[in-house]
Amino acid sequence: MTVDHTNAPLLRVENLGLRHVSGASSTPILSQVSFDLGRGEILGIIGESGAGKSTIGNAILGLLAPEFQQTSGTVSFGGKAMDRMTAEERAALRGKRIAAVFQDHTASLDPLMSVGAQIEETCLALDTRLSRHQARARSIDLLARVGIAEPERRYGNYPHQFSGGQRQRIVIAIALAGAPDIIIADEPTSALDASVQKQVLDLIRDLVDETGVSVILITHDMGVISEITDRVLVMRKGKVVEADRTSVILDQPAHAYTKKLLAAVPRLRVTTGPPQTDGGSEIAADAPSGEGLRVPMHLVAEGVSKQFAPRGLVWGFGRRGESFGLRDVGIRLPRGTITGIVGESGSGKTTFGRILAGLDTAPSGRIIIDDQAYDVARSGRRSGLLGRVQMIFQDPSVSLNPRMTIEETLEESIRFGASARRQDSQANVASMMDRLGLARNLLARHPHQLSGGQKQRVCIARALLAEPELIVADEPTSALDVSVQAEIVTLLKETIAERAITMVFISHDLAIVQAMCSAVYIFKDGRVEDFGSSDFIFARSDNSYTRTLIEARPQRFTC
Amino acid sequence: MGMISAVLGRLSQAFLLLVAMSVIGFIGIHSVGNPVFNVVNIETATPEDIRGATIALGLDQPIWHQYVVFVDNVVRGNFGTSYIYHLPAFELLMSKLPATLELASIAMLIAAPLGTALGLVAGRRIGTLFDRTLLQASVSALSIPSFWLAMMLILVGALLTGWFPSGGRGTTAHLLGQDWSFLTANGLWHLVLPAMALAIPNIALIARLSRSGTIEVESLDFTRFCRAKGLSSRRILFRHTLPNISVPIVTIIGLQFGGMLAFAVVVESIFSWPGVGKLLIDSIQLLDRPVVMATLTFVAVAFVLLNALVDLFYAVLDPRVRLSS
Repeated sequence: MTVDHTNAPLLRVENLGLRHVSGASSTPILSQVSFDLGRGEILGIIGESGAGKSTIGNAILGLLAPEFQQTSGTVSFGGKAMDRMTAEERAALRGKRIAAVFQDHTASLDPLMSVGAQIEETCLALDTRLSRHQARARSIDLLARVGIAEPERRYGNYPHQFSGGQRQRIVIAIALAGAPDIIIADEPTSALDASVQKQVLDLIRDLVDETGVSVILITHDMGVISEITDRVLVMRKGKVVEADRTSVILDQPAHAYTKKLLAAVPRLRVTTGPPQTDGGSEIAADAPSGEGLRVPMHLVAEGVSKQFAPRGLVWGFGRRGESFGLRDVGIRLPRGTITGIVGESGSGKTTFGRILAGLDTAPSGRIIIDDQAYDVARSGRRSGLLGRVQMIFQDPSVSLNPRMTIEETLEESIRFGASARRQDSQANVASMMDRLGLARNLLARHPHQLSGGQKQRVCIARALLAEPELIVADEPTSALDVSVQAEIVTLLKETIAERAITMVFISHDLAIVQAMCSAVYIFKDGRVEDFGSSDFIFARSDNSYTRTLIEARPQRFTC
Repeated sequence: MGMISAVLGRLSQAFLLLVAMSVIGFIGIHSVGNPVFNVVNIETATPEDIRGATIALGLDQPIWHQYVVFVDNVVRGNFGTSYIYHLPAFELLMSKLPATLELASIAMLIAAPLGTALGLVAGRRIGTLFDRTLLQASVSALSIPSFWLAMMLILVGALLTGWFPSGGRGTTAHLLGQDWSFLTANGLWHLVLPAMALAIPNIALIARLSRSGTIEVESLDFTRFCRAKGLSSRRILFRHTLPNISVPIVTIIGLQFGGMLAFAVVVESIFSWPGVGKLLIDSIQLLDRPVVMATLTFVAVAFVLLNALVDLFYAVLDPRVRLSS
């Protein structure tokens, strides 16, 4: 098939409607979706979960599950309607003319096949005239093109031997294998760390400029949109609410929903201003050396170290990989404050949080709460930390028991929480529900009947009802939609303050940490790289890693 | 160095297993009864005869002492002489091994590919007639007792139709100093029914594992990505799905094969197949202690070796195991 390079847009979606049919019920997923994609253009599609943005991508790729039925409209590629093509014609488009990049770089690659072989098989499938030798040469070219150093040497390596950013580059290389006209990138950077996200976005922009490929970039992140897209489609509940050039959407959004989305994006302040939170001066006012710690510490952790043992049987010799774990980590938490821990994946921040909560052990180190020392080498109940410290986890959909009603979950927290030790407990499920803005009729429901935001509120209620002195919140908002994130952050901050609970807030999002925390620790490779008051870290710290993290953020949302 | 420590760890585990097995086996067979009554003629023997036999067999010693003597002999490579057959126990075991080995191997050669293939196809077509039939059939195949299955095979395959012989090894041929049935057409003919009896439950087990593995792997992103990058669904099935589901399947194959070597007694008895399982049960009934101990030791060693093979397979298959450092 030849594509008309001049007149018709490369891809045209007109009045597309889709419904999801399962059994007797039928739910509309998309209605009246129309847009054009030109050559060499990056079109962003933004929306929250359930907006139907991924479904558009799958519809264009022809990868919709059979339960999805098209109700109206057409998708035409190069002037030819795709729903009039045979299954063979559509399959011939996949990979060759329309390629895909998915969110999860780990899951996108077959763990048992070397990356070279995975690129090679794609080249061979897309161009049957190629010899094995030629396919190999082309694969090495592709690896080099997406910025993998020493492509000949890395060719035979397996996916787990690459970092997350490199894996996503390899996925992009596979997408480029057939020299496609369109790449559909579904949340391509959501699973990546901030500094790597920027590199991958830059790579996509370069590829578009060099090769003239068009990209449909599906994301929930306004930051990504602001960095590289030319035009944006804002979607909500299966409908396009607004479509325009990116600069217009960012500067003069017309629709209220777009405005709300933009307003919900946390902004990072990097200029010194009046301290937004009090208590920031209590810890290490200026110097990261931590002088002037006058306020009594609620929790002090010292010298926590942990090395992760390699998994499984070891059949190879030598060759040490990346080292994970914690090396001599210490933090100090003043009573009643919120302290942030920031770091990329693999920096050890989650492990450290779990050790603080008594859910994990470390062979060396100690934790002192109110002058009482705990041995972190002992696990669970024996360490005594369980119960004194509560935890709020990242993904509320997997941290609630699906077989228990909300009421049972919360009652359990009261029964086995602080009130099990104290007689004067004031814990009350109903009043907690009211405080957290949860309707009381939710009590009889099971977790799957709640929205993500509701579930995370239940998780907060569960932690608070145990009446802990400390709470460790591990990325409590990153599994939630942007608009819900802001509510949860505010709620968490208020309820913590009301009860004078000390909190550790673990996150990779600098802006949320700035909004929440009076002091910040930056973790890198299992060590504390930088620490100090929030103002110090974001405005004045000259640690190069801290600066890298701040600069990797979308410029648009930093002020 | 990692490899050496892994091998050392494995060897010490194997050693502990052997010690534990031999103690349990020794005490077990000791408590079943006194073998001396199976050695002397109970009708005619005088008390002196019995005492003499007891002393000759070393049964007058305390059990710990008997165990020490047993271990001492085993270390020198001697499992003792069968009380019944008056042959060295180890030789007796080796003479039964070819029959069991060929039966178990052929059963597994049928079960593993067939079960995996059926599971792959069913996993690709969840909810179809084929899938539902396979699920139902596998439940039945796993729940019917093996003696009934064996007898039904004889009834249908031998008595009613006369297609296959109902028992025995048939003609054997000589190879490596042992007799093998699979080398002759008649012997192969005799292998069909007992091998089916052993294979059918394993087909069911492997098919279920393979089916659930296929469903899981094909729901992962990389299979979706493989489709998006333009691979044919055949290639995805054989080059991506199959390797990714094979770890649990190979584990089960290893365990089941070990089980067939030692405990295929029901099938071996019904088909008069003179194998290791039959030898073990007969020896226990006759309180032939040296043969029982030799067989149990062999079974333990076989399991250890099979598990080591399975681990080796993981390493060959999975680069994350192979290259972990």
